Amino acid sequence: MKSKDEITPKERMLAILQGKEVDRLLVSPLILNFASRSLNFSVRDFCTNGENMGNANIACFKKYRHDIVYLFSTTSTLAEAMGTKMYFPEDDAPQVETPFIRTREDLKKLKPVNPEKDGRLPVYLEAVRRCVDAIGNEVFIVPVIGAPFTTSAALRGTEIFIKELYTDTELVHTLMKVATQSVKNLIDAYVKAGGVPVTVEPVATGSMISERHFREFVLPYLKEVYAHIHSYNLPGVLHICGKTRRVIQCMAESGADILSIDNIDLLEAKELVGVKVCLMGNVSPADGMLKGNPEIINDMVKECVAKASDNPKGFIVATGCEVPIHTPHENMVAFLEAGRRYARLPINLN
Amino acid sequence: MEKSDIFCRLTQAVIDMDATRAAEAAAAVIQHNVDPYEAIIEGLAKGMDKVNELFENEEYFVPEILLCADAMNAGIDVLRPYLPKETTWNKKKVVIGVVKGDTHDIGKNLVKIMLDNAGFEMHDLGRNVPYAKFVDIAGELKADLVCLSTLMTTTMDGMQVIIEDLKKAGIASRVMVGGGPISPGFAKNIGADGYAKNATEAVKVAKGLFQEIHVPLILKTPELVSVRRGQEGVR
Repeated sequence: MKSKDEITPKERMLAILQGKEVDRLLVSPLILNFASRSLNFSVRDFCTNGENMGNANIACFKKYRHDIVYLFSTTSTLAEAMGTKMYFPEDDAPQVETPFIRTREDLKKLKPVNPEKDGRLPVYLEAVRRCVDAIGNEVFIVPVIGAPFTTSAALRGTEIFIKELYTDTELVHTLMKVATQSVKNLIDAYVKAGGVPVTVEPVATGSMISERHFREFVLPYLKEVYAHIHSYNLPGVLHICGKTRRVIQCMAESGADILSIDNIDLLEAKELVGVKVCLMGNVSPADGMLKGNPEIINDMVKECVAKASDNPKGFIVATGCEVPIHTPHENMVAFLEAGRRYARLPINLN
Repeated sequence: MEKSDIFCRLTQAVIDMDATRAAEAAAAVIQHNVDPYEAIIEGLAKGMDKVNELFENEEYFVPEILLCADAMNAGIDVLRPYLPKETTWNKKKVVIGVVKGDTHDIGKNLVKIMLDNAGFEMHDLGRNVPYAKFVDIAGELKADLVCLSTLMTTTMDGMQVIIEDLKKAGIASRVMVGGGPISPGFAKNIGADGYAKNATEAVKVAKGLFQEIHVPLILKTPELVSVRRGQEGVR
């Protein structure tokens, strides 16, 4: 698809970050494993090989010219690098097979990651370097890191872990501390490779835990993560999918500058936290991207822009969560075209 | 001790997520020759009903429900040996599982807990369940309801395959679907009989499908244990 944009995604992002005038809002569908489609890789071949992951994302960017290039396969990648065993379906994202911390004894084996060596982190680092080399002058390369709570849940097994918010808070904090250090190590490595790391914390969604638990077990560690990201003068991005109405205030207190949200009305989100943070969202991945058609997607994008383009701290047109890997090409084109059209500044939806 | 006091203790122990107190109160049931079945219905299940309400009002979330269910089961474990061996309650049979390709099972587990408490006989096939297994087990058990769950967009189409295969096999079970990416519209399009957005709604929808629902009974059925054994390593 030929882009009608006059400036590169990188120029646009920089202008927005510096508060300068710009042609339009960022349009950034969460293209993650979907990028594998651009070179017809199975997801397994895509996410276990840095050359493949890098090249597919380069090809994907050349095809769609989306504003942010994310590198991601699963939220459990960091836990995997720390010792959790994953199951790799032929053509789908990896999932947790056996958590690393089966007993309290196992805590002794727990240590922060070495990103150059552990698990598939070298795959990601290679992908980041390849993308930075090939397209880094045009677009920011953004590797996605599972944040401390999500990583801890994948280390321990989510169901046991969230019960331990009541039954073994000491273990929870022990895991969170090591996970936070791992996140920071990985941030360092990604920045060194030329990437702009962002974090996802889906296990802390309001569909799962209460605001009280979020404040006690999630928020302090997120603050540490964003302080670390800010030390590089980079913006903090926090993605949490599912229902977030109950926890969005906490999300906005984490130090993150941009909240990527899914199942919450953008008007409500704007009302609740719009003066504090830039919002990003939230076209439905399933009903829109996967099962919808260009017309439906056009309307969804338009609605997002109508609701949130006047958000005081800014707005990024995005999908609520990962673009499904089987999303039809024409739906992706429809999303980007609608985004480029409706998000053009000044906003005029007619 | 009054019977009603013991029931209150059971109820409160479940609400408080306290397995120890639930087991102690259940022991008091036996000590005072109180009917264990009545203790389950009027004590433990009442507690889970309240938990259900708290979840609906967003006062309780997933960790709370899991721990309340643990407390309830701790009470039931104490009472089980004193219950009649063969129960002939006319319970609706439900087969539940996470469809092939997906291992996220917390949502499915919550629905199982809530339907179990609401008086359905639950048969849990676990997670990453092959399509054919839903059809086979539903046929074998003459299941009244098949519950399909998934969190992933890549696996949601499997639900439609299962619904079609059930029809082809001439199995009359009704089907309820749910999970992160599932919408009422999708549920309707694939021919599901019901959709629930969360565990408490699943109870309402399931009850709506079977108006004539009988007395609640929370007992985990023995075959449930054997079905589950095939998929250990979960968690």
